[in-house]
Amino acid sequence: MFSKNPLRKRQRLGSLIGIGIGIIIYTILPLKQSEEYLSLGPMNTGHEGLSCNACHTDAKGNLIQQIQSNISYTFGMRKTLADFGTENVDNKKCLECHDRPNDRHPTHRFLEPRFKEAIANINATECETCHREHNETRVFLANANFCMNCHYDLEVKNDPIDVPHETLIAEKQWSTCLQCHDFHGNHIYEVAEKIKDTIPLQQIQAYLKGGIDPFSDKKKHLPLSEEEWLKIKNKYTSK
Amino acid sequence: MNHLKIKGIFFSLLSYILITAQSCGGVPEETSADTSASDKVFAVADILTLVAEENDITRTLYTKGIVGAGKKQGLKFDEDWQDDDVEAGPLPALFLRGISSDIRKSDIPLGLYLGSDFPINASNKFQGKQAELFKKIKADQKPQHFYEEDQKLYTSMFADLAVAAPCVNCHNDHKSTTKTDWKLGDVMGATTWQYPSDSLSYKEAIGVINAYRNGTKAIYTAYLEEIAAFKIDSTKPEIGNKWPSKGFYLPTADVFVDSVRKLASYHSLEKLLLADTHKKKQTEGLASN
Repeated sequence: MFSKNPLRKRQRLGSLIGIGIGIIIYTILPLKQSEEYLSLGPMNTGHEGLSCNACHTDAKGNLIQQIQSNISYTFGMRKTLADFGTENVDNKKCLECHDRPNDRHPTHRFLEPRFKEAIANINATECETCHREHNETRVFLANANFCMNCHYDLEVKNDPIDVPHETLIAEKQWSTCLQCHDFHGNHIYEVAEKIKDTIPLQQIQAYLKGGIDPFSDKKKHLPLSEEEWLKIKNKYTSK
Repeated sequence: MNHLKIKGIFFSLLSYILITAQSCGGVPEETSADTSASDKVFAVADILTLVAEENDITRTLYTKGIVGAGKKQGLKFDEDWQDDDVEAGPLPALFLRGISSDIRKSDIPLGLYLGSDFPINASNKFQGKQAELFKKIKADQKPQHFYEEDQKLYTSMFADLAVAAPCVNCHNDHKSTTKTDWKLGDVMGATTWQYPSDSLSYKEAIGVINAYRNGTKAIYTAYLEEIAAFKIDSTKPEIGNKWPSKGFYLPTADVFVDSVRKLASYHSLEKLLLADTHKKKQTEGLASN
């Protein structure tokens, strides 16, 4: 009845090629070997070799449910956005492996109103402010002088160091803090009592960028490996 | 043409049904959406007061029964109690910080902090609004309830009193103290509590109390674990049913927490029930109008 359009054959061929490429992408991209190409950048120190889904865990619901929820949110029919695809990587996710009872500066401490001004300068309530991932580093910040935001009026009685803290603060020597003090307090080491015996600033800077740990190779608590984390996760989710 | 139209309508309908069946109401919200406004029987200030009172009981018991009596038996307490080369237990302020940390690990959005105008650790010094309100608390010992606009959190501050001799002695004698004339009964500082909602349901109120109690157990358990790691056996007290007042003993976490519950539960239950009675009366009053 109708004559076939000669372009129909090309249309079909194009569709088939498109579907074929789609299937190949859909199959290859989720493979472990492809993660390197999907990553926003090289992983931070200590995270090399982690699977994407160690942090980017699947969001709740299927994709259609997530779209529906977010459309509902757009029209004011629900209070919160739903995670799309994968869950948001927040402090909770970091703490699943890095939670330590001896953390000297846990993120939640900075939620108190008294740290409001300090938080405006450096948001210490979020792990990623300092440890933003996919940067092949330990600490993402350009300068290691962040201690000044809270300790600008520090007074140390019976100061044990030869150049008193008062002098260091008056001279704004904020980069010297880390030469003695490990921010999260997990290293086991002897703190120097003379400035000349402290860890040189270059070594601290190299460490923050992902280099050798100058504090100590001994730590009080070790983070969970991906295998240990998975084991615990499966234990509590399989029931 | 009609045939094509019917086909189009059929496929549209099929797609719609499939999408609806697949999505089935979307992803459930993780808020307290299941709690209707009528279930919110507690004002946030009342629940924060209730849990602050539990905190007073817990900390008094820990300060008097563990720190005070324990020191007489040779037990040590230190701010660096978790350092590898320090064999000691948490000082009361750090005991509270331990509770606070554990609460933060739970899903209950409760914040708990301790501060002062003369803290041993400078980072615990009140600033800004908290410092202003603390002056009032020092004068009349009455709690201060306010809404922290920037954080969008309901906030309450309660006086933290020098309830036992160890509070006064330790703070006066501490090498880094900023004040050496503390006396029993002084307002040494204040606890600050925060919660994101102005009212709570029963479930939420119980959640707050349980988060606090679980925090108490967690920090006390951490203390016992620290003792287990002491290098010299003779420095480890016997852990069981007995308290340091009877000798070189420490209660287990269960014994300690049970003692707190015995002291706190009656008062807490009364407050919860009173709120329920008050709510019912309000509802009956409205119905008769």
